Amino acid sequence: MSARVLVVGELRDGHLADPTLESVGSALALAGGPEGVVGFLAGASARSAASEYGRYGVADVRVAESGSFDSVPPAFLAPVVVATASETRSDTIVVGGTTFGRDLTGRVAARWNAAAANGVTEVRLTGEGFLVRRPVFGGRATETLRLEGPRRVLSLRPHSFSAPEEKPTEVRVTPAAAPEPAPGLLGPKRVAVAPIASGAGPGLTDAAIVVSGGRGLRAPENFHLVEELAQALGAAVGASRAVTDAGWRPPSFQVGQTGKTVSPQLYIAVGISGAIQHIVGMVSSRVIVAINSDATAPIFKVADYGLVGDLFEIVPALTAEVRRVRGL
Amino acid sequence: MEIVVCVKPVPEPETRLRAAADGRTYDTEAVKFVLAGYDESAVEQALLLKESIPGSKVHAVAFGPSPRTEEVLRASLALGCDQATWVEAPSELRPDPLATAHALARAIRPLPHDLVLCGKQAGDDESGLVAPALGELLGVPDFGFVVDLRWDAGSSRLTFRRETEAGEERWEAPLPVVVAMQQAWNDPRTAKLPAILKSRKVPIAKVAWTPLPAELGPTVPVRFELPPPRTGAKIVEYKTPGEAAEKLVRILREEAKVFP
Ligand SMILES: Cc1cc2nc3c(=O)[nH]c(=O)nc-3n(C[C@H](O)[C@H](O)[C@H](O)COP(=O)(O)OP(=O)(O)OC[C@H]3O[C@@H](n4cnc5c(N)ncnc54)[C@H](O)[C@@H]3O)c2cc1C
Repeated sequence: MSARVLVVGELRDGHLADPTLESVGSALALAGGPEGVVGFLAGASARSAASEYGRYGVADVRVAESGSFDSVPPAFLAPVVVATASETRSDTIVVGGTTFGRDLTGRVAARWNAAAANGVTEVRLTGEGFLVRRPVFGGRATETLRLEGPRRVLSLRPHSFSAPEEKPTEVRVTPAAAPEPAPGLLGPKRVAVAPIASGAGPGLTDAAIVVSGGRGLRAPENFHLVEELAQALGAAVGASRAVTDAGWRPPSFQVGQTGKTVSPQLYIAVGISGAIQHIVGMVSSRVIVAINSDATAPIFKVADYGLVGDLFEIVPALTAEVRRVRGL
Repeated sequence: MEIVVCVKPVPEPETRLRAAADGRTYDTEAVKFVLAGYDESAVEQALLLKESIPGSKVHAVAFGPSPRTEEVLRASLALGCDQATWVEAPSELRPDPLATAHALARAIRPLPHDLVLCGKQAGDDESGLVAPALGELLGVPDFGFVVDLRWDAGSSRLTFRRETEAGEERWEAPLPVVVAMQQAWNDPRTAKLPAILKSRKVPIAKVAWTPLPAELGPTVPVRFELPPPRTGAKIVEYKTPGEAAEKLVRILREEAKVFP
């Protein structure tokens, strides 16, 4: 049993984004080899990046090479993706579970009459059918779904799948079938893009490591301790609501029930007590480290490793040690 | 502006989750349901727009079983929505986000809808599929991860921000659009008692539910699993901060294997 998979790629700085490489990895497994996988890319630099699919053995690449795809709503891309899936006789569309991918999945599924799932962490094609597993309830539980019917669309949770081994091949780049967009889709305009303050924003939901700071830091001018540790680790920076409510950092940094849900490989909570509303946003992280002076703080119940002590002593020492072992 | 806001009941965030007897979904027995958090943001956003644009109306629409779905519609009316429409799902129906989008689209099509607001995902299944699918089914653009939605009367356009990997994007869009709201950045209001009492008397319109054709690819829940409870942190013993740092880094590299 194998699928024919269309991978919808995403570009970052003109190259295939990591979530796209993870999608290729999962697609190769589902299709049982590169013959059953087609790569897709849209945007101004689509053609120049197309050859990167070839590194992983994917030879058939379809490109919608137009700068307009960089600044139109995600809805605009769905018709092109669906037309390409039909043209390449794909039965499965896989995309990285970024904001781009998560927005695309539902739109494409509705257009293609397909079953769909976002934020998938495991995919299996077995006698039981096409099964996907995904975290629900902010990572407090997982569900396994069977996607029935002849077509499905998945977005994959970042860091849950491995990038494939390199197996270079020549790529054949073909322009994608581009149906005329409905006039109603042409009105919206992206008028500006500004980089988000260091580490926060979607970088936060994407990151392999997150370091979050709480009220234990006492004042905004101490928050740099968290940021320096994050920088040494190559991590994104998060915060508890106590911090964002006090305006030490903007709301986009907030992790928790009313903020972002993160599930990195490593989550370090610095001076955070571990209120349930914070916990639900980070409990599905693979490894949790807590640094807190109160040995009875609830954060230690969900953490894997705890350091009981003064963060003002521990965090700078930790930053120095990380820098030392990483040769920074 | 004619605003439609889609609302969904989800278990209270503090609920102790358990698998249902058949192991496929979670147990709804004795669970208290509330308006989903992101939907609260969407309702708040709808009401803010209504208050700033004379002659606007907000219509709450929901798909789901009795009694919880009716209850979140009542809660939305109590917050200030003007009307409500309910597509009642049979109680044994298993959740399927695409089927939800089809049901909502059927209810919304006959209503005036300049703007359809949703939460970006619900706090239970977190599918994040309904709003984009709704955009497609209604034939209008959709935007996810939106904050800070405003109406610019001069240009007759909505302006808003989206947080994406590209950064913070600013957009302008003519109506109609479907918008899925990001987090509770707008500090949703709570309902006052007189409004709650008044909302009980507002009639809720009903739209009949019809099952989706099977070729549309249903999504069937197979297993619902809870992780083994975390047993509490292994506390790292140390005498100096330097030793604490050294020990933790060694653990993260050698034992937890999470260190780059
Ligand atoms: C409806 C609702 C939604 C909410 N949503 C969220 C949410 O999304 N995210 C969120 O985070 N919160 C949320 N909250 C708030 C939540 O309940 C807590 O108030 C908040 O998480 C507390 O933040 P904190 O841990 O930083 O602060 P505190 O609870 O004040 O904890 C500070 C910690 O720092 C430690 N500390 C102090 N000094 C030091 C030191 N020198 N060294 C080491 N440790 C030290 C203390 O021991 C303490 O444990 C929500 C609340 C409600 C009611």
